[in-house]
Amino acid sequence: MLTIPQVMALVDGTILTMQLTLIGITAGIVLGVLLALGRISKSRILNGITWVYVWAFRGTPLLMQLFIIVYAVPLFTLDLFGFPLRLPILAAAAVAYSLNSAAYLAEIIRAGIQSIDKGQMEASKALGMSYYQAMFKIIIPQAYRRLIPPVGNELIMLLKDTSLVASIGLFDVLRTTSQMTNATGKAFYYIYAAIIYLFFTTIIQVVFDKVEKKYSIYD
Amino acid sequence: MIKLENVYKSFGDLEVLKDINLEVKSGEVVCVIGPSGSGKSTMLRCLNQLERITSGKIYIDGELADEREMGKDLKEIPPEKVQELCTELGMVFQRFNLFPHLTVLENITIAPKIVRKKQESEIKKIALDLLKLVGLEDKKDEYPSRLSGGQQQRVAIARALAMQPKIMLFDEPTSALDPELVGEVLEVMKKLAKDGMTMIVVTHEMGFAKEVGTRVIFMDEGRIIEEGDPKVIFDSPKEDRTKSFLKKIL
Ligand SMILES: Nc1ncnc2c1ncn2[C@@H]1O[C@H](COP(=O)(O)OP(=O)(O)OP(=O)(O)O)[C@@H](O)[C@H]1O
Ligand SMILES: [Mg+2]
Repeated sequence: MLTIPQVMALVDGTILTMQLTLIGITAGIVLGVLLALGRISKSRILNGITWVYVWAFRGTPLLMQLFIIVYAVPLFTLDLFGFPLRLPILAAAAVAYSLNSAAYLAEIIRAGIQSIDKGQMEASKALGMSYYQAMFKIIIPQAYRRLIPPVGNELIMLLKDTSLVASIGLFDVLRTTSQMTNATGKAFYYIYAAIIYLFFTTIIQVVFDKVEKKYSIYD
Repeated sequence: MIKLENVYKSFGDLEVLKDINLEVKSGEVVCVIGPSGSGKSTMLRCLNQLERITSGKIYIDGELADEREMGKDLKEIPPEKVQELCTELGMVFQRFNLFPHLTVLENITIAPKIVRKKQESEIKKIALDLLKLVGLEDKKDEYPSRLSGGQQQRVAIARALAMQPKIMLFDEPTSALDPELVGEVLEVMKKLAKDGMTMIVVTHEMGFAKEVGTRVIFMDEGRIIEEGDPKVIFDSPKEDRTKSFLKKIL
């Protein structure tokens, strides 16, 4: 079985994995809503900027984005401004996951907003609401329910993708277990990693199903 | 109350409204009839700025709300002013457009709450009075999907009235309803008309037009072809186009 230090290491790895996942999804949703608003805005400039953002982050590997933010940004800023913009690795990784998931969530949220009947915006405007009042009080709350399944999906992807941080020197669940295997020559440690991932993905699945049901009262 | 002067509206190359001139006085109930595609909805939508006119002038409550030529603003009217004028117009849509995620009561209170920023208790009182007016007090906590079409449309009327508009615009309010539900909505509208509300109603309900309409306007291909007293228009129209249209809908 596991020794006490091994359990501690697994707990630390799990905490790191959870931190990255939770920060990534929360910041990703906030930034994703803003990007989605940009994508559907009538302003050419906002539209263009957000399009490029989504294009760049969805069109390149997440691992590359991690390397760029963790390693390349300090070097670039050193060249440009004479000092390196260097975050702690964990913070830099959290930024990378947030920026990346925001791009995917933006497209999910945009599709959700656009799936709401146009009559809803018109009725809101006819009642004197501004565009943003209508968006945040009428349109987005209705889009919630349709967003729940794809956002749950994105959350699960994000959770699994956090294992990439092994390559920038962080000890998440997976790296912790593979190190135990390397040290002992025994492969069963991977089973602990699998159990931990499945435990969290199951929770996500159950919670998101519940929430989706809860929102179905009005149709 | 409302005046349209030389109003034109195009969607790209398609000219939908052509030189519309119309004045509606306080207390009038103007019924608008005309074939599909003649621009009736577009005219209402231009009034409350859901669409911007291409050229012409719109006055609401005696004040200039829009003045444009060739798609450009002739006069800068502050957006707050325009919004304020537009809230004097209430609009009821053919497909109700109730907010499905809000209860009946919340549907009615949300705009006064976030646009007018009135006190919660005052808003609630107004809303309950309006629900009484449309006969749906017992449905205040239901979600719209639980209501019949006729009930939904009555809630939509109450919702528009909650902003205390001076003029109500109705765009075919009964044409999405099963025939047996039309009457209850028309009853509410008649009540409003009798209480002196100024109304512009796109409708083909002749009985309604004859009973409470003060004027009927016949539109075709983006123009006002003929207007006058409902009985005169329906019983002895002058224009051939009006005659052939009325023949079709009767
Ligand atoms: N947003 C739009 N973009 C392009 N064309 C439009 C738009 N809205 C309306 N039209 C066109 O304008 C014309 C007039 O439409 P409108 O809806 O005002 O007619 P209507 O008299 O209300 O007809 P109906 O009785 O069918 O409701 C139609 O040819 C329609 O296709
Ligand atoms: Mg129409």
